[in-house]
Amino acid sequence: MTMMGYRTFFVTVLSVAWAAGARGQSEGAPTLEGEPYVYTQWESFTSESTDGALVNDHIFFLEPDGDSLWIGTEGGLVLYHDGTWQSWTEADGLPWRVIMGIAKDRKTGDLWLALFGEGIARFSGGRFEHFTQMNSGLLNDVSYGIDIQGDNVWVASTAGISRYNQVTGEWAAFNEQHAPMEEVWTYNVSAAEDKVFFAVWGSGILEWDVATETWKDYLDPDGEMEIDLYRDDGLIHVITTSASYVDRVLWASTYFGLSRYDGRNWRGYLDHDSGLPSMFINQTVGRSGTSSYSATDKGLGVLADFASDTWVTYQRDDEDAATWTAHIMVGGDEVRAVPTDLDLPNHSVISVALMGADVWIGTGHGLARGIGTDFHEGLR
Amino acid sequence: MIAKVLAPVVMVLAFGLAASDQAPRERVYVGEQACRRCHHQPGGRDQFSAWRLTKHAQAFAALSMPESREIAELSGIDTDPSKSRVCLGCHATAYDTEEWERDESFHFEDGVQCERCHGPGSEYMDADVMRDSTRAREAGLRMPQERDCLVCHKEKGSHSAVLGVKQFRFEAAVREIAHAGVGGPLDPTDRPTADTLPGPKYIGALGCGTCHGAQSGSRAYGTWRMSRHAAAYATLGTARAGEIAREMGVTGEPQGSDRCLACHTTGGGEPTGRFVESFDAAQGVQCESCHGPGSAYMAQAVMLDPVASADAGLIDVDRTICTRCHTEGIHGRTLDLEAAWPAIDHSAWKDVAQVEYKTPLNLAVTQDGRRLFVACEASNSLIIVDIERGTVSAEVAVGIQPHFVLLSADGTRAYVSNRGSDDVSVVDVSSLRVIATIAVGDEPHEMATNEAGTLLYVANAGTYDVSVVDVAAGKEAKRLAAARGPWGVARSPNGRDVYVTNNLPRYGAFRTPLTSEVTVIDAERSTVARRFTVPDANLIQGIAFEPSGEFALVTLIRTKNLVPMTRNVQGWIITNGVGVLWEDGRVDQLLLDEFNDFFADPTDVVFSHDGSYAFVTGGGVQEVAVIDVERLLQLLEHASPEDRAAVYPNHLGASAEFVVRRIGVGRSPRGMATSPDGRYVYVADGLDDAISVIDVARQERVRVIELGGPQEITQARYGERIFHDAQYTFARQFACHSCHPDGHVDGITYDIEPDGLGVNPVDNRTLRGVNDTSPFKWTGTNPTLTRQCGPRLAAFFTRTDPFTAEQSAALERYIVTIRRPPNRYRTGDELTPAQRRGKALFERLVDKSGNALAPTERCVFCHPPPYFTNRNTHDVGTASPLDTHSEFDVPHLNNIYASPPYLHDGRAHSLEEIWTLYNPHDTHGRTNDLTKAELNDLIEYVKTL
Repeated sequence: MTMMGYRTFFVTVLSVAWAAGARGQSEGAPTLEGEPYVYTQWESFTSESTDGALVNDHIFFLEPDGDSLWIGTEGGLVLYHDGTWQSWTEADGLPWRVIMGIAKDRKTGDLWLALFGEGIARFSGGRFEHFTQMNSGLLNDVSYGIDIQGDNVWVASTAGISRYNQVTGEWAAFNEQHAPMEEVWTYNVSAAEDKVFFAVWGSGILEWDVATETWKDYLDPDGEMEIDLYRDDGLIHVITTSASYVDRVLWASTYFGLSRYDGRNWRGYLDHDSGLPSMFINQTVGRSGTSSYSATDKGLGVLADFASDTWVTYQRDDEDAATWTAHIMVGGDEVRAVPTDLDLPNHSVISVALMGADVWIGTGHGLARGIGTDFHEGLR
Repeated sequence: MIAKVLAPVVMVLAFGLAASDQAPRERVYVGEQACRRCHHQPGGRDQFSAWRLTKHAQAFAALSMPESREIAELSGIDTDPSKSRVCLGCHATAYDTEEWERDESFHFEDGVQCERCHGPGSEYMDADVMRDSTRAREAGLRMPQERDCLVCHKEKGSHSAVLGVKQFRFEAAVREIAHAGVGGPLDPTDRPTADTLPGPKYIGALGCGTCHGAQSGSRAYGTWRMSRHAAAYATLGTARAGEIAREMGVTGEPQGSDRCLACHTTGGGEPTGRFVESFDAAQGVQCESCHGPGSAYMAQAVMLDPVASADAGLIDVDRTICTRCHTEGIHGRTLDLEAAWPAIDHSAWKDVAQVEYKTPLNLAVTQDGRRLFVACEASNSLIIVDIERGTVSAEVAVGIQPHFVLLSADGTRAYVSNRGSDDVSVVDVSSLRVIATIAVGDEPHEMATNEAGTLLYVANAGTYDVSVVDVAAGKEAKRLAAARGPWGVARSPNGRDVYVTNNLPRYGAFRTPLTSEVTVIDAERSTVARRFTVPDANLIQGIAFEPSGEFALVTLIRTKNLVPMTRNVQGWIITNGVGVLWEDGRVDQLLLDEFNDFFADPTDVVFSHDGSYAFVTGGGVQEVAVIDVERLLQLLEHASPEDRAAVYPNHLGASAEFVVRRIGVGRSPRGMATSPDGRYVYVADGLDDAISVIDVARQERVRVIELGGPQEITQARYGERIFHDAQYTFARQFACHSCHPDGHVDGITYDIEPDGLGVNPVDNRTLRGVNDTSPFKWTGTNPTLTRQCGPRLAAFFTRTDPFTAEQSAALERYIVTIRRPPNRYRTGDELTPAQRRGKALFERLVDKSGNALAPTERCVFCHPPPYFTNRNTHDVGTASPLDTHSEFDVPHLNNIYASPPYLHDGRAHSLEEIWTLYNPHDTHGRTNDLTKAELNDLIEYVKTL
């Protein structure tokens, strides 16, 4: 057996043992402690189905704005509102068409865009204002994420983190010289009232405390790149892709699973011991401290109830399937499959957003809204 | 195994690297007293005494002199010179340092001391280091060259105007301050410690100066330091003193003679136990020589109590004290006490008499129509006028440079924007007291409230944004991004929108027509809802809604900056008019000019109550234009879309169709307000210190209300009137103010001379703080402002007769007094970490590879403090194919953040672009070895200058 083989075997044994122990189930079929909500009714949108109103089918980011949805695509910016579409491309003044992140400044009403390879832009009163590494203090033009905290605009880029204060005009840079980052390639930023979180490829999650203006880093304690040696000892992996902080609970997605941290305890999720369709997670959004939605390359994994480890997993069961299926799972075991009318042809989910009772997903081939009629949180 | 073998090696390497990488100790200023320990050897190499007798040693004290205040005023500095970073830059040492960079023994009061020229001494002051010149230089010892002296000693207009022109000749100056020598051994006989004796102790002049210095608002310390008393000890080190001493039978050096020291130092001859440890005898005849040892009365509480201070030993000085040393015939002279007494008088400031004008800019009328509230920029006050009586009933001090006044809907509050102090004064209308001051953005101009009166929108011209102030909370709630230089604000009649005009055009591609903006705020959400684009226009300032809300009128000018300004004689360089903003986003533009009589600087607009007339102030022509609104609308209605887009915006004859009258008012009319009954329009005649009253029905000025400004017209005021008056340009097309609103910039690159279309384009530069930064013009060919604004101006700009000598002198006098705003990025002594890192880069001697930088590769070489210009021209590789020169004037960097765009042709829209885009070969300083984060640091520091 090769070294890799030993590792795989060892981890598998540990994981299976942990999974069984964690659920307190020694044998038999898993049982539900209550019914999670399942989105069975979906609306799908592609560029073709909208006659080009959705300017591109590669949906990179979704930003709810009241009862409207801002959509960042590879081909421009789109606004969806109650069945109507409006779009902006470079012909309309959009500085660059590839939009990786969107942040609505609730205070000023302005929209901020992370432009892949072209910096960031402020969309205000119909005008785009372009900030780049050449004309501003932005560290780098390859921007992956953007978010607003107070008067500050935070930008995640390949060269680290930039902060722009809209009142003072000051730019601050945070990279390996100014923050606890071994790697600087920052994939995502997520701001809350008192903290701002960053997902840094290879440097885990960084937390910025607004009041003290200090950093704290969350790393994988076992330091292993290929495996998670000790479960729930900390962040599941340092190659992180997003963070979401809600109800003072941190959800962190990685390319090797999902982590949840309540300020005291960590909990890790892998694809074989949870409802995650895949460990390759592009984005995770928390609905609450007990529920999160993970966009993976093989579908959408919804942890519906943390306490009971109840999941709903949305994916195409095979490449030829016309529609997606929702699998209700407890831990890694399926309880029941529920058909849905979601018919997007590609279940590589890149982005996810919650808008009231509805959920929106952006994929490599189109956009869809799960209609949350009679939605309920947790189990019922 | 390999890891085990390598581990120690790695550790050794790591340790070695750590040792060699040890950060060098920070260099700290130690002050002249530390230098003196080796460089004051009585009878030997006495460099201390030589320095102490120079003006360098008095440089800080000189800032207490009345002339300094006059010079400061001529430099646009309205703070005490001893607190001005610009003044301190040449009158003190280490002014641009943080507290940690100065040892406790360092004192600003010692003026231009050793380390001003030789660099901070903490690392080379050790005698062993100083004996090795190489080590000393490596430790920071500098030997100044002529260019270092010229940073401060190059002729400065402000100083020449007050002190007369004093030509600086380097060789002569070096002889004057000569202090040759290498120092001497440490004096082992430093004052021995002794048991403290009972009774009060001498504390020394520096202790007194803490409360009696200029920075504490007193001139006592400075006056003393400028006197011979302060040099009394040092003068004992001169050859002449030696001769006198020998004549008196003194043996040895005078500075070591108790007999000489008795009168040449404070406490001379007293036992050492009568001095506190910090007492410095070398300061000469100090305060306590006359006032008695101060340790018991120095406490503020004691000093403020005459009885207590007398009990504690403070002597009420009379002239008999002087005669203790100034005995008859001493050293062959008898002191003329009558003459000497006033010379050392330090009892009060001797201020230059100030003539304070009012300069009303904007005004508001109370709901009962009885009172006018007038914001007066020059007097920093809000003047309340009793309209019926035509008199000033009150004057309330507000912030600095008040610009606009707005009465709250319920009439209980007056809000005054202060563009010089970046705040809004809230005045209680009943008590006429300022009850709150609300911080907003830089240079606030006009304001409006939402319909409920709960939110106040403030246009911040300096930060290009709008402050939304929560009135109840008394603080700013948020900032909204405007375009550039937001100026005017008006709420729509339906209350839904707040329109904000922008004074400066948006940034555009190099040598493309201007585009400006009116920003629209959704008043319900307080968010930016949309933006009007106004092509080919700039200086959009005044705004008013037609009473029905169908449209809004704005004032604007149309600057043709892409063709040579000499085309002025063709009547087509700056045209002046109004914009009509329709709710659907369309914008019409119409000129108020006539063919040979332009309407320069349209500034504000109001409507008559019935909407039939609009009134527009012409700031440069001393007139108010009356627009027949119906005729204006008919003109537009009958025009084709093409005519509305391309013809009428430039049509010099169209105004005859709708401008029904021009009403003469006072000088530089600015803001207006209508009376509640609609019968009158009140006009702020800015440079007459008066309010013109226009009868709306008769369309004529019927009354003038004086605001009580001085009758005397100073040279500067005369110059200010010229600056704002278009009569000096061909056909009254524009005034100086048209391109320099608020004495600043219009953000435009001009083609000035008739050397071809677009050849030698130049960015407009600010006039704030410009006086001492000659030469002028981007090519640096004009040595004085008089030259800059003289015949050249007539030839290339105004195209009329040049200013007379009297006018030219007055204009220059005004320009140099234009206020220099405080730096908003440097409010205190301390720098932020990023600014601190940036400063190190600004001053660095080596690149990131450790290679020494050539002088011209260092920022500080061309941009030395305090003006951050060496006042020369340099080729920094920024010439474009449109330029016929490659060397350009080094611009000063004071408040550089406030005057984009940058470089001589304005091609850099931000400070970053100067280096990211336009310094590819490191010809504008070595910057390409910096990371982006480091460049950010550098820029953060540059903003603090």
